[in-house]
Amino acid sequence: MSESFSTMKKSIIEAGVIAVTVFLTSLGINLVHPSRIPYIADAPYETMVPCPVQEGHVTPANPTAFATTSKHVLFVDAREKGDYDKWHYPGALLLTYDFLDPIPESELRIMAQRIAALRATKVVVYGDGDDPDTGKLLGIDISASGINNVYFVRGGAAALEEAVASQNRGAQ
Amino acid sequence: MSRFLDWSGHRWIALPIRFYLGGVFILASLHKIAHPDAFALDVATYNILPLFLINIMAICLPWLEVVCGALMIAGVKSRASAWLISGMMVMFLVALFVALSNGLDMSCGCFASSSMASEDTISKMTALRDLGWLVLGVYVLIFDHRPVGLESLIYKRRK
Repeated sequence: MSESFSTMKKSIIEAGVIAVTVFLTSLGINLVHPSRIPYIADAPYETMVPCPVQEGHVTPANPTAFATTSKHVLFVDAREKGDYDKWHYPGALLLTYDFLDPIPESELRIMAQRIAALRATKVVVYGDGDDPDTGKLLGIDISASGINNVYFVRGGAAALEEAVASQNRGAQ
Repeated sequence: MSRFLDWSGHRWIALPIRFYLGGVFILASLHKIAHPDAFALDVATYNILPLFLINIMAICLPWLEVVCGALMIAGVKSRASAWLISGMMVMFLVALFVALSNGLDMSCGCFASSSMASEDTISKMTALRDLGWLVLGVYVLIFDHRPVGLESLIYKRRK
């Protein structure tokens, strides 16, 4: 046992000697290496590592599907405030889609509170209806943040407004 | 336990393990030695070491790999090499787990630069592979008391 311990100790010392020798030699070799690098980097490395993108799942929906069934549904308007002020679905939450920045935590908290208050089982997002549709993009972001059952309205706010108006005419 | 440790069969089991581990380490070092600048970028990408240590690591580590690999294959100071290889594997595993826990979607940089080996992305499989190599290194370290190789050959001739 003591022999085993002494050989182990010897091999650790040998490992140390090898490591130090190799380290010093390699530092010397670097001086004559054709692709030599400075021993200490003079500027931080620019590393661009993509983090895995959280893919949200958003379901397309026809505007007529949600034109009247607003019970337990939270509507989210992805457009600019000016467009929202002109027309928005009654009770819709304004959450303007930003192509560059993620949804702020504070906005997500407000959304969660609204979902809880409404006992909403679905979140329906509508945007400008363009290509790409801000409603769809915001829906993907909302879904990626952990909220389930997210839908986006095909054709955006204009299509939804038309569907609501059509439903109202039909009701009258 | 002592009889199992002293079993002479270990040196013959360890022989192909040493050749395999040595080959892996030599293979892994070649690109890093040829392109220390690319390897330094790989080391920096892990975002673990302070800036002043990145280049020193990128210069020295590949040479340590090639020397340890060669010593393993030759059967010279193979237990010392096993110490170093096991130590390096532990270091690589820690780096890998830190990168994985940070959600980094990056190349391992183990055998070639990340810019050239985009398919070698880090994953749990990479960690499992490194863990396997660590186990092999530890086997050589613990069980290969009288390694078959140049050192034992020279020792026999002297006798």
